[in-house]
Amino acid sequence: MSRSDKTEQRERIRERFAAFAVTRDEAIRDELVLEHVNLVRYLALKFANRGEPLDDLVQVGTVGLIKAVDRFEADRGVEFTTYATPTIVGEIKRYFRDKGWAVRVPRRLQELNLAVNRAVEELSIELGRSVTVSDLAARLGASEDDIIEAQELGQAYNLLSLDAEVGSESDGRSATLAEYVGATDPQLEAAEVKLLLEESFGVLDGRERIVVYLRYYQGMAQTDIARRLQVSQMHVSRLQARAVAKLKASLKVG
Amino acid sequence: MPEPLKKAVEADGSPAVARLSFPARPQWVGVARLATAAIASRLDFSIDELEDLKLAVAEASTICITANGGGDVAIECTLADDRIVIAVTRSGAKPARRAPDQGEADLSGLGVFLIRALMDDVSYESDHRGTRLRLTKLLRK
Repeated sequence: MSRSDKTEQRERIRERFAAFAVTRDEAIRDELVLEHVNLVRYLALKFANRGEPLDDLVQVGTVGLIKAVDRFEADRGVEFTTYATPTIVGEIKRYFRDKGWAVRVPRRLQELNLAVNRAVEELSIELGRSVTVSDLAARLGASEDDIIEAQELGQAYNLLSLDAEVGSESDGRSATLAEYVGATDPQLEAAEVKLLLEESFGVLDGRERIVVYLRYYQGMAQTDIARRLQVSQMHVSRLQARAVAKLKASLKVG
Repeated sequence: MPEPLKKAVEADGSPAVARLSFPARPQWVGVARLATAAIASRLDFSIDELEDLKLAVAEASTICITANGGGDVAIECTLADDRIVIAVTRSGAKPARRAPDQGEADLSGLGVFLIRALMDDVSYESDHRGTRLRLTKLLRK
């Protein structure tokens, strides 16, 4: 692309952002997102060696891009790419964090480490000489950097058994790793679910709320609720169905 | 349990400094990555943070390599208790052909922004004396 083309393109994008700022038109939004998909690809590629498929990284990066398009203020005088880069990188890094990927990279290296050890034995016999890093890279289809890294760092990430002893306690009895592993507290989790539900109660009207309370919190039968509210059991059933549908919808959106 | 990492800081409390210099050619970027990772792992960075450091150093090295002019690329890592500061420099480089107000329409100029997204503090200068980047990553406890 020649320089004047680039200037033209930049000018056009700036104009589209200005239009989007006023209209919030979906079509312009789509256009702006598509216009910058290359940026996402470029950034995703930088993280491609960390054990997650490139397509997934492009996908989460695109979420970041969409956020950036929505929040970008063209009149601040910053180029969009400058603005969007941290948002996209942030989204990609969050994805790794959510995946608990600190465990995944070592695993990748560990597997490579095992493969390297095996390949060293095989190749030494085949070649009749000491094996070089480039021999290993060619055999395993990995980069030379990865081979070195796997050899150097592979040692540091040995998996630990849950029964491994981790230092001794004051009474001389040594504890196992498993004893330090936390568990989900079911009561805490139930409390969280209840809280989440109660936040959603705002979508219910008074009668629906009463039905939900009596039915699910007090465990009353529909016929008992009907007697209490002096309506038919059919009506209670309808109220309950409507309340549950409303709650479901509100939880899905939130 | 893996052995605890050795303290990076010297016995008298001063920061430890490690230096590396390599030819300004793309084939050397991998060496810069690995060496920096090895140096940085003397502090207790997570794998996640080490990967970020490697990526940032690779980008900084690439910026220095693609800057016009001669001279090797030098990396100096300063390890303190709570941070690593990595200076990536190439002296004797003529100023980059692209004027600074050209903007960032093509992706080649994005390296600095990528580095900024990964590090805690970044400074970047490029002039007639050369190209200098200074990356700081804090150790989170």
